[in-house]
Amino acid sequence: MTGSEIDWPVALRATDSGEQAAAVSALREVLHHGLRIALNGRSDVSAAHLEDFAQESLLRVLDRLDQFQGRSQFTTWAQAIALNVAFTELRRKRWRDVSLDALLADGERFAEPAMIADDALGADEDRTRFVAVLRSAIENDLTPKQRAVMLGELRDLPFDQIVELLGTSRSAAYKMLHDARRALKQRLHEAGITGADIQNAFSL
Amino acid sequence: MKPEDQRLTREQVGSIVKMLSLTTDREFNCAECLQHVSEFAERQLAHQPVSKVIASVEQHLALCPECREEYEALMKILKAGQ
Repeated sequence: MTGSEIDWPVALRATDSGEQAAAVSALREVLHHGLRIALNGRSDVSAAHLEDFAQESLLRVLDRLDQFQGRSQFTTWAQAIALNVAFTELRRKRWRDVSLDALLADGERFAEPAMIADDALGADEDRTRFVAVLRSAIENDLTPKQRAVMLGELRDLPFDQIVELLGTSRSAAYKMLHDARRALKQRLHEAGITGADIQNAFSL
Repeated sequence: MKPEDQRLTREQVGSIVKMLSLTTDREFNCAECLQHVSEFAERQLAHQPVSKVIASVEQHLALCPECREEYEALMKILKAGQ
């Protein structure tokens, strides 16, 4: 039987322990194969990592079996979870490898309030107005954590590092960023500044 | 903080404009994106239209580099299996 012929949710819940074990083993192989393709060529991924990711992914998929709604192939859904497991761990490892001093220094910069120089983008009237409104909005309309997550994004910090620096969850940090974006958008809207105005002013 | 750290670069302005232009009142977070990304990926691969709900995946991917990285890896796997 090929992977596409297996009714995965049924097989993985089979009461026959032999059938279930075979399905679990087959799924592990599918996940391992996919991870090998996706992570091929990365110098930070060894064969042992692939084994670990496949095993961890398998457990995560089995744990979330009830969440599969059948709107895609089961294996595609499971691969998405496996990739989330693998990439989350790889990002975590990357930040673990950064020295504590560097991380703390990053954290100090990260926590500083937004200060945007009025002349940073030239003397053009529209640009100056945009920067003034934006600076005011960042400094006055955002909470400290919203400001931190927004500045982290602008400084191209990986989102998982922002999450770590804030000591929160990824979903909570994403909500902070979403709320920050909405607040800035609202303030610009109230000031009569549209996205088109900004794009024209900066020739974006 | 040094003065040069206080400045918005042209790239950062571009990032803000992009972020704000894509911002809507209701957005998928990363967990919701993960729940629906497999359907989105399969539909993209088959050039099939996406529902309004699934379109929220596309919007999230435009704003979240981490989820986009995982989506691109998923597409790599799906394409290899074609």
